[in-house]
Amino acid sequence: MLFLTLARKTYIRNLQFRASHLIQNLASAIFGFIYISIWTGIGESRSLGEYGLAGMISYVAFNQCCLWVSGFPTNGLGMEASVRSGQIAMDLMRPVHLFYHLMSKEWGQIAYQFVYKFIPIYALYLWVLPLQRPASVSAAAATLLALAISGYIAICLHYLIGAAALWTTESTWLVYVNYAFSMLLSGFLIPIEWLPGPLAWISAYSFYPYLHYVPTRIYLGMSTVDLVAGGLLWCAALTLLCLLATRLMRHRVEVQGG
Amino acid sequence: MIEVTHLNKTFRQLTPKNGPFQTVRMLFSRDYVYKQAVRDISFHIDAGEFVGYIGPNGAGKSTTIKMMCGILHPTSGTVRIAGESPHQSRRNVTRRLGVLFGQRTNLWWDLPVRDSFDIIAAMYSIDGAQQQSRLGELTELLELAEFMDTPVRKLSLGQRMRADIAAALLHDPEVLFLDEPTIGLDISAKRSIRGLLARLNRELGKTILLTTHDMDDIEQLCSRVIVINHGQLGFDGTTEALRQRIGLPTVIHLTYRSLVEVAELPSPLLTLVGREDNRLSVSCNREELRPMEALRLLECFGPIEDVRMEEPNFEDVIEQLY
Amino acid sequence: MSWLRMYRILVLASIRSRMQYRFNFWFSTIMSALVNAVEFLMLAVVLLRFDHIQGWTIVECGYLYAILTLSRAIYRSIASDVHHLERYLLSGDLDKLLLRPVPILLALMTQNFNLRFGELLQGGAILVLCMAELMRQGQIGWTAIAPTLLAIGGGAVLLYAIGLISATTGFWLTRTSVLQNFTEDAAKTAAQYPMSIYPGWLQGILTGVIPIAFANYLPALYILKGEASPLVLAGSWAVALALTGLGLLFWRTGVSRYHSTGS
Repeated sequence: MLFLTLARKTYIRNLQFRASHLIQNLASAIFGFIYISIWTGIGESRSLGEYGLAGMISYVAFNQCCLWVSGFPTNGLGMEASVRSGQIAMDLMRPVHLFYHLMSKEWGQIAYQFVYKFIPIYALYLWVLPLQRPASVSAAAATLLALAISGYIAICLHYLIGAAALWTTESTWLVYVNYAFSMLLSGFLIPIEWLPGPLAWISAYSFYPYLHYVPTRIYLGMSTVDLVAGGLLWCAALTLLCLLATRLMRHRVEVQGG
Repeated sequence: MIEVTHLNKTFRQLTPKNGPFQTVRMLFSRDYVYKQAVRDISFHIDAGEFVGYIGPNGAGKSTTIKMMCGILHPTSGTVRIAGESPHQSRRNVTRRLGVLFGQRTNLWWDLPVRDSFDIIAAMYSIDGAQQQSRLGELTELLELAEFMDTPVRKLSLGQRMRADIAAALLHDPEVLFLDEPTIGLDISAKRSIRGLLARLNRELGKTILLTTHDMDDIEQLCSRVIVINHGQLGFDGTTEALRQRIGLPTVIHLTYRSLVEVAELPSPLLTLVGREDNRLSVSCNREELRPMEALRLLECFGPIEDVRMEEPNFEDVIEQLY
Repeated sequence: MSWLRMYRILVLASIRSRMQYRFNFWFSTIMSALVNAVEFLMLAVVLLRFDHIQGWTIVECGYLYAILTLSRAIYRSIASDVHHLERYLLSGDLDKLLLRPVPILLALMTQNFNLRFGELLQGGAILVLCMAELMRQGQIGWTAIAPTLLAIGGGAVLLYAIGLISATTGFWLTRTSVLQNFTEDAAKTAAQYPMSIYPGWLQGILTGVIPIAFANYLPALYILKGEASPLVLAGSWAVALALTGLGLLFWRTGVSRYHSTGS
């Protein structure tokens, strides 16, 4: 099946770097630790709502792990380079739809990052921190579902960002802007119910919470699996946008010649 | 001007371990292998000479040049450029050297050519007036005016090469090391660069050491050739002497009308290279036996239908010197 | 001095070549400013709800963050390619720097001069806003400006020294990016927030091993809170200069290794 072939190729390609990636996990773990320290610092003198200090530690720690599923896909799914080299014209002409093609490749990347980054950091945190374990098998399963949704949303976002490369040379900035919004609105450092008014409003109406807030809440057992319903809707909406974007890309390539 | 005496360079290389846990084992004990890249090389170049420095890839050419520039330090032996050692007085020696690596640029990639020259002038402490006049001369000589304000990354190869040569000459060095300056250029660009280099040597008296794989460069520019192979000096003499040593080897490919039986070649000056059905390939030295003579002799095997002559590979020619 | 002349030309040339694409220049500057502020904005959002973190208010945290950002922007503007030494070692481009009649470190520093407008803008803006608010609250006065500038300068030198030492390991290891992840990225992220929130061992590392605490936290303890003596500024500069000295010696060793192995 083409999906598996493409995903597996990306996964295998990454394996040669796993030694240095495993070391870099330590750096990532430290970043998470820094964010946790912020909450232990605050928790010293203030109450932390329904989470409590233990809950917030688990919240931030699990979010740091989630970062590797939805936070670092290949920039623009590699489309910027493809546009620069002209390869994009050929890719658009293939019998396989560009979105399916790039999405499959990216799932391989996400799978690799799950195995070699999420899991090691998660294991490390379980060992050194008071990180909560999942409440039940069904909670764990629901978490995985939420993670899958977050990965898919991230793929769609980067597909759209990458597509923009056909119209502007500055599409890397969109990656950074997306990253900035994600950090602020996805509940990465602070649960979205604690965001100040306008930000909370924007966040609630966006897909960002499904990247961090939703998987972590489900993991902590503080929300039930039906929270992903909104995420599924966003997946559908973003997929349609990606298909539309592909149409526009094809049109542009035909007119401009790539 | 350039004095190289008993130069040696040995590199120590890690041999990778085989077997399980190789990465970890390598942290605890390491096996080395010693590779001698340059072996007892000595030569002397006077001011104003134009010397070709040739040899197959991996022969030790770039290692020697790097030692002459002060980039690498020799394991033993000395280099003196105008009496100073590049490895002990790197900064002084580099002021008198202009170095050009054909594949790499000495300019700032994102900035206009003019800015690169300004920065270089500041680095070499060339004062404003001097810089202006040198730049004026070089701009005219190399026809840089049309792209002075273009960023280097937008230049064509020929343009970039000319700008690089100007950059190498800006501080008026006495000695030039040029590494494959004509590589990748089209015929007319090659011709104009060669003309420029010849002028620099003849009219301005610059000492030039040229490494190249293009025999035409050697033929047209160099009065003297040094050949290096397997880290050792193979030949050091005039271009004329080199030509005589290697002769003018040619391979002649013949196609006969019908099958040929070749028991023995008609002349000791011919060497068999290959034979198949009705085709025959021989090589000879054009200095010793003219192609027309060779053809007449080879007609003894039967009527010839087709002839093709081939100049041999440069590397093979050099190999022949041993 | 030809060094100053060189730097002047580099700054002007860099500005000029960026200005050619006017829209691009302003756009990327503003984008860069916004995006680089994210790490601070994350904390700001938390502090908007929780007022303070171990006694550090949002404006004090902003001050801490801003002076580190400015120090880093200065360091990376002047010596960007020291951080990228790995690239030069892999491509062999270090050789051409050895052909110049200047110390190789200086040649490396001038290679990719790139004024970080976005970070300077954002750091400067946050600093000005926070200091104005602190002055309004009466916590500091005009006398705080000079020590702040001193702290920023010292921080830049310190970050440069840390960067230099990290990059120099490349002469032995070639690949430096993994180490730099820890010494530059992780350390910088940690120093953006008040160090008292970290457990003792981490504070120890950030003061004794990768002494980034001297770049912003310790000066701020004196300038903002009066909890440290004014000598802490002198101490910061002393550490910065000492570490730079060490870095230069280490660099010399690295270069002479390069001279003998060629890679």
